[in-house]
Amino acid sequence: MPPLWLIPTFPLIGAALNGLLGRRFGKTLVNLIAIGSVAASFATVLMVLSGLGAFSGGLHEAHIERYFTWIQSGDLNIGYDLMVDRLSAVMLMVVTGVGLLIHIYAAGYMAHEGGYYRFFAYLNLFMFFMLTLVLGANYLVMFVGWEGVGLCSYLLIGFYFLEKFAGDAGNKAFIVNRVGDFGFMLGAFLIFINFKSLDFGTVFAQAAHLPADQGAGIFTAICLLLFLGAAGKSAQIPLYVWLPDAMAGPTPVSALIHAATMVTAGVYMVSRSSVLFLHSQIAMDTVAVVGLATAVMAATIGLVQNDIKKVYAYSTVSQLGYMFLGCGVGAFQFGIFHVVTHAFFKALLFLGAGSVIHAMHHEQDMRHMGGLRSKTPITFACLLAAALAIAGFPFTSGYFSKDAILEAAHGRSPVLYWIGVVTAGMTAFYVFRSIFMTFFGKFRGHGEPHESPLVMTGPLMILAVLSLGGGFLNIGSYLEPVFATAHHAAEGAAHHGDPMLGYIATAAGLIGIALAYVFYVLSPSLPDTFSNLFSMPYRWLSNKYYVDEAYDSTIIQPIIGGSRTLLWKGIDVGLIDGIVNGVAALARNVGGGLKLLQSGYVRSYAAWIVIGSVVIIAAMSLMGGAR
Amino acid sequence: MPANILPSASEYLRILPEIILTVAGVIVMLLEAMRDEKYENSSAIPGVTLFALVAALVGAIVSFSDPGSAFHGMIIVDGFATFFRVLVIGVGLLVFFISGSYLEREHAHTGEYWGLLLFSLVGQSLMAAANELMMIFIGLEISSIATYILAGYLRDDKRNNESALKYFLLGSFATAFFLYGIAWIYGITGSTNLLEIRRVISTASAAHISMTLVGTAAALMFVGFAFKISAAPFQVWAPDVYQGAPAPVSAFMSAGPKAAAFAILIRVFLTAFEPIASRWEPVFWVCALLTMIVGNFAALAQTNLKRLLAYSSIAHAGYVLVAITAHNVIGVQAVMFYLASYAFMNVGAFAVVAHVARKGERFLRIEDLAGLGSRQPGVAAMLTIFLLSMIGVPLTGGFFGKFYIFKAALDANLVWLTVLGLLNSAVAAYYYLRLIVMMYMHEPGESTEGLQPLTAGMSAAIWISAAATVFLGIFPGFVLDFAGKSANFIK
Amino acid sequence: MNLYDIVLALPAIAFFLILLLPKDNTDLIRKAALIISLGIFLVSLGLMPAVLAAPAQMSHVTDVQWISMPNIRYHVGLDGVSLWLVLLSTFLTPIAVIISWNYIDKRQKEFYGFLMVLEFGLIGVFAAMDLFLFYVFWEVVLVPMYFLVGIWGYARRIYAAVKLFLYTMAGSVLMLGATIYLYNKTGTFDYGNLMTLMTTGRLVLGPVEGNLLFLAFFLAFAIKVPIFPLHTWLPDAHVEAPTAGSVMLASVMLKMGTYGLLRFAIPMFPVAARENAPWIVALGIIGIIYGALVALVQPNIKKLVAYSSVSHLGFVVVGLFSFTQYGLDGAVYVMLAHGISTGALFMLVGMMYERRHSLDIKDYGGVATPAPWLATVFLVTTLASIGLPTLSNFVGEYLILQGAAVANFNYAVFAAIGVILSACYMLWMYQRVFLGRAPGMAETGHGHGHDDHAAHKAEPAHDEHHHDFHMPDLNAREWSALLPMVALMILMGVAAQLFLPSISASNADALTSTKGSQEQRVKVNLNKELANAR
Repeated sequence: MPPLWLIPTFPLIGAALNGLLGRRFGKTLVNLIAIGSVAASFATVLMVLSGLGAFSGGLHEAHIERYFTWIQSGDLNIGYDLMVDRLSAVMLMVVTGVGLLIHIYAAGYMAHEGGYYRFFAYLNLFMFFMLTLVLGANYLVMFVGWEGVGLCSYLLIGFYFLEKFAGDAGNKAFIVNRVGDFGFMLGAFLIFINFKSLDFGTVFAQAAHLPADQGAGIFTAICLLLFLGAAGKSAQIPLYVWLPDAMAGPTPVSALIHAATMVTAGVYMVSRSSVLFLHSQIAMDTVAVVGLATAVMAATIGLVQNDIKKVYAYSTVSQLGYMFLGCGVGAFQFGIFHVVTHAFFKALLFLGAGSVIHAMHHEQDMRHMGGLRSKTPITFACLLAAALAIAGFPFTSGYFSKDAILEAAHGRSPVLYWIGVVTAGMTAFYVFRSIFMTFFGKFRGHGEPHESPLVMTGPLMILAVLSLGGGFLNIGSYLEPVFATAHHAAEGAAHHGDPMLGYIATAAGLIGIALAYVFYVLSPSLPDTFSNLFSMPYRWLSNKYYVDEAYDSTIIQPIIGGSRTLLWKGIDVGLIDGIVNGVAALARNVGGGLKLLQSGYVRSYAAWIVIGSVVIIAAMSLMGGAR
Repeated sequence: MPANILPSASEYLRILPEIILTVAGVIVMLLEAMRDEKYENSSAIPGVTLFALVAALVGAIVSFSDPGSAFHGMIIVDGFATFFRVLVIGVGLLVFFISGSYLEREHAHTGEYWGLLLFSLVGQSLMAAANELMMIFIGLEISSIATYILAGYLRDDKRNNESALKYFLLGSFATAFFLYGIAWIYGITGSTNLLEIRRVISTASAAHISMTLVGTAAALMFVGFAFKISAAPFQVWAPDVYQGAPAPVSAFMSAGPKAAAFAILIRVFLTAFEPIASRWEPVFWVCALLTMIVGNFAALAQTNLKRLLAYSSIAHAGYVLVAITAHNVIGVQAVMFYLASYAFMNVGAFAVVAHVARKGERFLRIEDLAGLGSRQPGVAAMLTIFLLSMIGVPLTGGFFGKFYIFKAALDANLVWLTVLGLLNSAVAAYYYLRLIVMMYMHEPGESTEGLQPLTAGMSAAIWISAAATVFLGIFPGFVLDFAGKSANFIK
Repeated sequence: MNLYDIVLALPAIAFFLILLLPKDNTDLIRKAALIISLGIFLVSLGLMPAVLAAPAQMSHVTDVQWISMPNIRYHVGLDGVSLWLVLLSTFLTPIAVIISWNYIDKRQKEFYGFLMVLEFGLIGVFAAMDLFLFYVFWEVVLVPMYFLVGIWGYARRIYAAVKLFLYTMAGSVLMLGATIYLYNKTGTFDYGNLMTLMTTGRLVLGPVEGNLLFLAFFLAFAIKVPIFPLHTWLPDAHVEAPTAGSVMLASVMLKMGTYGLLRFAIPMFPVAARENAPWIVALGIIGIIYGALVALVQPNIKKLVAYSSVSHLGFVVVGLFSFTQYGLDGAVYVMLAHGISTGALFMLVGMMYERRHSLDIKDYGGVATPAPWLATVFLVTTLASIGLPTLSNFVGEYLILQGAAVANFNYAVFAAIGVILSACYMLWMYQRVFLGRAPGMAETGHGHGHDDHAAHKAEPAHDEHHHDFHMPDLNAREWSALLPMVALMILMGVAAQLFLPSISASNADALTSTKGSQEQRVKVNLNKELANAR
């Protein structure tokens, strides 16, 4: 069995080669290196997992490999340690598998792009950090990947750096993520203070042995801080704002980073820390509520977006909300299950959208599409599969994972469940809205759309199969050993629940599809009448609740303005330097004043001497009393 | 003591430097008198002067081979005296080197100058060795009168005359106080011998004499000294005089007579008036602080180089007073070291000023230094060393001078005076830096245009001073140890 | 005369050597400076083995009398902390020479001479074990820097130089006073003796006395660090200084302050230090946030980097006064890492100035297009300085924050805000300078990021729009200066254990020997003496 460090190392080498020398390479060589390195690590993952018996019901215990000490100070000792357990096994498969497909797709999609080598260097670098994140055996190594993927996301969002909005979006992503990392780090500090270690094994072992009620306060603090980090990375309220803008990056990036892998890191981290979260009901509920709220909010916004990538972006935010809902109600395994299925269908949605955009010569506005069904049949078929999956159409992948989560939610509180169901309906609606607007009706665009080459459609088809059949990989139960503690904490999780719950959820999805059909195929005039009818809420939705504007006016502008006028001009230049220079000026004035003593006249000098002498004589003779 | 009316040979040995200088002075005057107007054989006169100075220097050291008092305790040759003798004569040598080329430049090369220089040195070296008030007064007067004339040496220069007149009037005014003080103390104690005075006012038998009167006498003398060392509030004359006098003379006045005045100030107050220290210490405290403040802050506002150096020398007098206020052995030691290093850096600085001022001292504004760093790097570097030393940057004599002074002050628990003094030296950095800024950070101006290279004499003086400044900054031990041994005359 | 003494002597010798060179043969002068400084660096590497073998003790110790009265000794030695700072100085000097190669276009002789004096002072100040000697080197460093800023600086260089000098002077005279006071009390300037006297309780300072002495030292160091609100000399000095000056100033000279705190102020007055820690940490945190916020709005790149230094050094202060192993180790680590990353930033800014003769952000933009490698190196450096894991600063900042969290969790909460803000000001600046369109590049018709359009211009190889736009990419000389820096950023980020153990060891010693109250310290010291006895 190959060592774990090989897995991330291949992409790193690929990134280094392409990054440093890619300028001189031809496209084929760049492809070879980029795709080859990911394929290599995919193969390594397969070998490692089979070696550990992950496919043959093995790998009940985590397999840990320790390489070298990274940071040691006093009793703080952090090693560069990697580990694999069933949870990371699942993530590894997704990251390398889907990652490989997207790399292949990108080779076609980016074929006519400048900065080709740069793109693939970043993409490989991303793979390296993502794999480090998944493999890390302690919070700090995980944090390395955590920050690293953030960096790559920053680089890839800003890939078209000539466009200002790309740079803005990149900064926004990185900085918002930094806010999350702030929480992550503080959480890690608290963990170290309380467990004297950051090793997953050590920490969770200690935490598991604590009675559930003990130190709830500490656990709440730790978990809420960690969840702040997760919210940043996985675009949850209040930190979701960066993800929609992140669509400024090339479409394969949106598929890989902002749908399939990186954005799910938060869910992974929370599930990884399940032992800690289960010690704090407050934290769990926070996760669930925030997740659900995000799901609803994003879904509503998704209803009215016209940019196809924006629709899927908000859909991603919403689906991530579902995953957190799952974790929050203790059904971590289903949260991860949804991560996997979502990776399939959301990656597919984005790649499909990319294929459409490619076909439409970089048109992203669905109002200028339509009728592509005949022109790009493969893309249509694949996208349809993805849409069905996300809408929870029976026996597609989404159907299983989403229902499992909703049923688990019902176990915690019916309210969560019902809201979730409604959201599922909206999800189905906006996804099929996008399908219908794109592929049905008559062609509203210009130019001659054409189907994408096989290198792009190939991955689409594979993903389509996975989206449809992925649900039959019974990941939920596969993960149960990992969440042994979590498992019995989450009563009423899937299979034990009332089958009715499942039917209702499915029905909601179907209704959503039907409505979308009515609105966008049967009577295309309806949407406008509705938007006029409910113009106020419509404006709110289409403007994303004005959240960006609110952040800008309440946080960003005050900080910048205050720093400039108050801190810099005011305190620094005005006050402090004012005092400093004032003192200097004062000294010079004193000097000028003393100069006045210098009248130049002997008589006045003589007077001085006399006065001085009198004072001194008086002082010396009377000092210590006259006697 | 009728036994031996005639002084013994060893007693003459103990005033060897004075003898040499006096004789030389007389010779110079004679040579000048019979100098043939047509044949400028003036080179003989400087020759004699130089020889006399070197000889006197040697003489001062030789006379230390057999220390002790002479002429019924009017003269005392101890380490302290020798130190200051060597110092003032050394200053004389440096000034000699500066003056030669200066007088050449000003076409004012006459014998009187050298004669007056020598006589003034006689007075100072006498002050250094004097152990008795009359002797001190005589030394003081010899030195002063010669210096008065030197200050106005360039007859047809208005500034010179003004300077000389002021110096003379105010100087004699202050000396009057001093003389009055002598009379008074003699009236009280019936003696002018410092040790005798001390004995009288310290023994219990002093019950019948009024300490108030002693204090008054001390005060009167202090006024005289304070004037000579230009301590506040008697510093007013210094800026005008230093600015007006010829640069070499200013250099001389700020180093030689001042050092001698400090010497006798210390002798008088730390021997004779030590018993009433409680009376004068507070006064010294205030004077020291005032002097530092007046010197430094007034210097901030100066634009004329000589005037700036005048104020700086006032400030330095303030630092020295801090050490005297401590009135302990290391204080005296600090003063001696400080005056030595100060003599070098100050004479050096004045020498550079004299050099850049050029004929008729036309270029004396600070701006006139602009670009010296690129025009004459050597000279600029030397002046930089002197200035850094005055600021008190380590590895220069000035730094150790300040260091020892404040160390002594802290030893005497003068914490606040120390802190204020240290802050003062930080303020002082500003106006010294202005000169460095001018030399290095401004483009050359017309003042340094075609500035002729250093003459041999000048460069000798400047290089010696610079070398000494750095040497004292790296190996202060030599001077300091000697000073330490000689400072223990304070009982 | 051991190896360290040689390393110390070499720059002094080099100074005189350079003075002897002909004034106009600038090429000879700078070549000589480069070769000599490189040689010094190589020799200084020889210092490592002995120190790393026993980082807690002093190695390469020389202790001879310099002045008998008062007893001033040339007492030097290196431990696990000072070693790295000495190496940082010797490492950066040749790099400073390289980046000054064409940048310094007048009076090269003096320039490289002063650079040597500077190196001499720096090597000395980090090894001085005698308070007086320390003060001497402390001042010696000031003089050449004053000239570097004043002569070769920008427009307001004189104001900046004088400000730098007077600020430092004002602080250091108080330190001198405190030093003398200690001497008069103990009769020694020797750090080791003083520590023994104090730890054994033979020298007991009254509370007021101890506080005043501590504050005197603290003030001198705080000005150098600089700690808010004593920092305003720094932006001026940094902006006005020539590139090499800014590099040496930011990378090494600021560390004199933090080193002084770590080596002298805290160990000698542990009680006072701990009493005053809360407000000092508060100032540190204010520095972190304040520096970052002010950096955020700077229109001038150099000034921005300067304020970022205020922020970074704030971290160091917080770490030092957390009185935890992590905090101290992190503080020292940031001292080194900041030396590398910020040094590199100043170098890059200087290179950009050489191309565009401006430091204003608004005069740049789109630099990444004509100069992709410059942009890349700048990005790596930026990431290092905002503390991205696997790059130098992260390790230190992480340890500092962990230490702060242990000392008082609120410290960590507030200090960590700086981590967010650093990303804000650096990335925003990076975007405005390097991203977007270079002046003179044609706008694409429609503003949207339509892939091939934009990307064709994103690819300098076939960009035809910037012929008029003079921003050549890095040349070989610049690479030779930058590569070592980048290499170190990565090395320090990944292989932290190359540096940390020695730092930890010497810090652990300092921490235990000065922990807690008098009697505790007596006990600790007795144990030591017993250990020595065996």
